[in-house]
Amino acid sequence: MLRSRRSLPRLSGLAFLAGALLVAPVSAAPKRVMSLNLCTDQLAMTLAGPDQLVSVSFLSREPSLSMLHEEAQAYPVNRGLAEEVFLEKPDLVVTGTYALHNTTALLKRLDFHVEEFSFAQTLETIPGEIRRMGALLGQEEKAERIAGDFTGELEAIAARQCDRRPTMIAYDQNGIAPGSSTLADSVMRAAGFANLAADLGVVGMAPFPLEQVIAARPDVISISRKQDAPTLGEHVPRHPAIAALPETRIGAFVPEGSLSCGAPGVMEAVRALAALRAEIAPCPQDATQ
Amino acid sequence: MKLSASLALLALALFVVSLLVGPAELGLGNSITGLFAGGGEAAAIIMREIRLPRALLGLAIGISLGLSGAVLQGFLRNPLAEPGVIGVSSMAALGAVVVFYSGLAGSSLYALPAGALIGALIAVLILLAIAARQGSTLTLILAGVALSSLAAALTSLVLNLSPNPFAAYEIIFWLLGSLKDRSMEHVALALPLMACGWLLIALSTRAIDALSLGEEAASSLGIHMGRARFLIVAGVALSVGAATAVAGTIGFIGLVVPHLIRPLTSRLPSSLLLPAGLGGAALLLAADIAARIVLPAGELNVGVLTALIGAPFFLWLVVRARREML
Repeated sequence: MLRSRRSLPRLSGLAFLAGALLVAPVSAAPKRVMSLNLCTDQLAMTLAGPDQLVSVSFLSREPSLSMLHEEAQAYPVNRGLAEEVFLEKPDLVVTGTYALHNTTALLKRLDFHVEEFSFAQTLETIPGEIRRMGALLGQEEKAERIAGDFTGELEAIAARQCDRRPTMIAYDQNGIAPGSSTLADSVMRAAGFANLAADLGVVGMAPFPLEQVIAARPDVISISRKQDAPTLGEHVPRHPAIAALPETRIGAFVPEGSLSCGAPGVMEAVRALAALRAEIAPCPQDATQ
Repeated sequence: MKLSASLALLALALFVVSLLVGPAELGLGNSITGLFAGGGEAAAIIMREIRLPRALLGLAIGISLGLSGAVLQGFLRNPLAEPGVIGVSSMAALGAVVVFYSGLAGSSLYALPAGALIGALIAVLILLAIAARQGSTLTLILAGVALSSLAAALTSLVLNLSPNPFAAYEIIFWLLGSLKDRSMEHVALALPLMACGWLLIALSTRAIDALSLGEEAASSLGIHMGRARFLIVAGVALSVGAATAVAGTIGFIGLVVPHLIRPLTSRLPSSLLLPAGLGGAALLLAADIAARIVLPAGELNVGVLTALIGAPFFLWLVVRARREML
């Protein structure tokens, strides 16, 4: 299709463009939207108008992953299958680039309007994602307000930081830690912490040896809450060697699910960590508050 | 005795090397002071809470696997018998997985040996029943292959069914074994059980020697077969079950070590037990050191290395056994 459009004479191309611009406001607000990805779920549930969202992914009801798990109870859920989309015939499908490649390709071939969001994100990219979802849903004003609030609060939190930056590692299942270019890393930095894993050269999510955590003695080790269904991996951040560090604060400091997606809910993680930073290493700005 | 002494020295040397290897490069002096000095120094915590339990488990699990291999080969009069090959380890892993991931005991680690001992016991009893009916070397091995495939499949199934998405990532630990990030809790959990297993196996030495002459001859020598069978079943289930509960399935140690050492002993099955245990400890410690050196950050599963050594060896034994049978 693209190729045939390119081969059109320039004049008719311009006419096509003009036509598309004229039609745009009419088709701008899709009436039936389906979200197939946990993170597009978060943005869509925040921004969609009443009855605009047909269904969200089943993961958005999972409290350990989804900040909006209570809101998600109000929507039907899907498992990200092309068949489900085909039966619902939505005007717009929003999904992530991370998984479901086959589904996305199939849906595009079936001429569905599919919009993909990449989630290689940091705090800085979130306002842009909010605005993009707002434009897709025809909810530009709401998106502008939420994105503006988000940026405003980040700036306010940044203004309260100083040169005292305690070290922190987010130590997760099986000793995996987020390094640089991760959402968690940008959250730690915004809250006034230095991310130990990133400082030691870890990029992305990677295994971080337990011995090096002990050797580096971070000021804070942030671990995730225990789930109902046990795993051996959750015993690693609870290893006796970590508990033996005398001056390190260890705990589940970040609200559950707040770091899984680049969505407005991530601000709760920033607030929680900023409060922790103010408590353990107060800046002059904190005293005047 | 000379053989045992030199193997003990080798295991001890590897135990010390194991204490000195790790991603936090502590240096020799720091390591030694860390091990013996107290306090909250990083070196002390790393040595006592991370490296010491790892080395202790390598030593004890190696002894358990080597000893179990030797006693099973003698008792079943089958050169290919070994806890991994005949499915005892896989069944122990399945037992641990079922009890632990069902959450019956919260997330308590006590669930692991409880389930693993039951799994190992069931496996040994099934195999004994098969061996009692059909004395052939091949039948037992084939039954073991079936048992371990089934146990591995069920282990994967249980882990995939867990509502916790991270559980499925632990399939690799249970199928390939690892000593990574163990703690003194694991040592306290497994070591007493393994030691009981070693003791029971040690009490069966006279019976194993007599059995090399055949069951009837053994009975005529005054060996109480029921008692001997109980000692060996319980001993293997305890030591392999406890070992698997904390380290997953580590294969082939019980196969390779007795075969390497047998030519150096008097060929009396009982004279093989102690050297096989010590040799098993040396091999597992060496494999675990290699696992940390090959891939320093990610770390290899130790079962990968033991299988790389053991599987070709197993193949060679099978070919040789066939030739002898023909």
